[in-house]
Amino acid sequence: MTGFTKRDVVVDGICVQVLEAGRGEPLVYFHGAGTMTGFEGLLPLSKNRRLIVPIHPGFGASDDDIRIDSVLDYVIHYADLFDQFGLAEPVDLVGHSLGGWIASMFAVLKGHRVRRLALACPAGLRVSAHPTADLFTIPADKFAPYLVASPEILARMAAVNVTIDMKVGRYREMTSLARIAWDRNYEPKFERWLPNVAIPTLILWGEEDRAIPAAQARYWADLLPNAEVAMLPGVGHLMFFESSAAVKRLGTFFEQDIGNLKKAAG
Amino acid sequence: MSVLHKLQFYFMHFMPYPDVAPDRPQGQWVDIPNSRFDPERGHKLYREYIDELVLGDRLGFDGLVVNEHHSTFYSLMPSCSIVAGALAMLTKRAKICVFGTPIALTYPHRLAEEYAMLDVMSGGRLECAFPLGTGMEYWVNPVNPSFARERFREGMDILMQAWTQPGPTRYDGKFYQYKYLNPFPLPYQKPHPKIYVVGSGTEETLNYAAEKGFGYSQVFTPIASQLKSFENYREIAVRNGHKPDSESIIISAMAYVAETEEKAVEEGRNHILFYFQKLLRTNAHINSPPGYLPVDRLRKRLEAGAVQDAEITWEMLTGVYRTVLGTPEQVAERIAFWCEQAKSSKIILHLHTGDMPHWKAVKNITLFAEEVIPRVRRLASSTLQAAE
Repeated sequence: MTGFTKRDVVVDGICVQVLEAGRGEPLVYFHGAGTMTGFEGLLPLSKNRRLIVPIHPGFGASDDDIRIDSVLDYVIHYADLFDQFGLAEPVDLVGHSLGGWIASMFAVLKGHRVRRLALACPAGLRVSAHPTADLFTIPADKFAPYLVASPEILARMAAVNVTIDMKVGRYREMTSLARIAWDRNYEPKFERWLPNVAIPTLILWGEEDRAIPAAQARYWADLLPNAEVAMLPGVGHLMFFESSAAVKRLGTFFEQDIGNLKKAAG
Repeated sequence: MSVLHKLQFYFMHFMPYPDVAPDRPQGQWVDIPNSRFDPERGHKLYREYIDELVLGDRLGFDGLVVNEHHSTFYSLMPSCSIVAGALAMLTKRAKICVFGTPIALTYPHRLAEEYAMLDVMSGGRLECAFPLGTGMEYWVNPVNPSFARERFREGMDILMQAWTQPGPTRYDGKFYQYKYLNPFPLPYQKPHPKIYVVGSGTEETLNYAAEKGFGYSQVFTPIASQLKSFENYREIAVRNGHKPDSESIIISAMAYVAETEEKAVEEGRNHILFYFQKLLRTNAHINSPPGYLPVDRLRKRLEAGAVQDAEITWEMLTGVYRTVLGTPEQVAERIAFWCEQAKSSKIILHLHTGDMPHWKAVKNITLFAEEVIPRVRRLASSTLQAAE
């Protein structure tokens, strides 16, 4: 298992960074609202797949796109990026947190481009009884405990908001998030739209998630007609940073019916 | 000719609520316990504060300035138009400057209507300064801080269209669509009251004011950076075909006047410190919600060292900002110096600061009007004679 290769791709005039590892059927990962902790934890997924992690415009090493001010704009961006990557056949898609919101919206609008969908503690649903934490209101120095469960992992988090570059980088990513989610950190119409997504879907959640409560998993499962739920004990919001079990569970989900995919691709 | 010759003295009130919440290193904004508000105390403060402004009119100040903040002990004016409305009827001659409602936080046509009312009610004495609004306002109003600047500009376009084009007109924008933009009444002054933009030193706000030909004022920032901003402003304004004059830039200062310098310091110092250390204090989280600051501006701020989080000292206040406490001679000399230095003939004086009691404010306003203003005017005529 080697590391990611990085390349810059221009999509609709905006230069974005795309991380890739492995060969095989494509598996696309939409990341959450922070890129500071990296994506190394996902590498086991590239063992027999082509893992593609595009960095959203406005995040990490990708440029800003001032035209983007809604999750829908990200869906449009990714439809372009899929075209550019030649992903003509339905692909396997994972979305984590904000990326789960984008992936869900992608499935609503571009469902024919997705074979199997995994939503890892996705943002985007309004659950009044178990609301998503308003991360904007949490000061930077109190942020980490909302994201990870175990104290050891927390110690690794400490180093991500120290230098001026890191602080500016975080502010920029929070700004990009604010552009799409300050007014509402959910899509009020998901309750009407999600029942149309018949794609096989895995809802994966860390039981100790303090950013988006694990109790929301059931609500997603109730709305999505073809969903299964997997809960991860002892795991927080940054599940792929925290837990190799989370990555393994993803791998298992996407292994299912892979033969059909190969047949279709062939 | 020296700017002193046409100098105008404006008296500004923040109307603070001095019974702040204890143990709040993050300051007195946004998530304050609002149950500390005592309506009887509030009533007394409004009466005193409005009396102080009315006194300013009677004693000869050229203008009275009110501004607006939300959810903070810093200010009892979540709507500056309401206080300006009272002043319009209670005063006779001073200009009334709303410093003002952040246009991004309200419907632009509504602000055009309210300000027009004030201008008509006061018989054409309104002046309008438009701030973006502090970052703190965006936590407590349902407006996305990452579009604050864009929304501000669209709001200003709508207000100017409403005031300068015969209605009804139509407006199709990103944030607002007006089928019939048709404010009634319209301003008393033609084409409209004087307009200023209030900035904090960001280049884009300054450029915007200069390009549009609006006046410019900068809130509490070090004098040196203000002077640099003013130079840039004048240069850009001229380049855009405008003719900035000495009234195009408003500067502001805190002053306390007493019989002796010692007495001025003894009576005034702690109230000014209270203002800076308690009321103005915030932290980076509160004052810069995501998207409020351009990212490169945040970098500059961090690289310059975060003053906001540091304790503001008396030395900083008197050395870097415009703060003067002393005898009428001393205060007059400083005021004249600052105005000439900034080439500005319009100065806003903060004469009630922090937790200052009513009697001190009345004393300060009176001494300033009766002892300082005439002295500055005399300095002006002596510089004029020297020039001749």
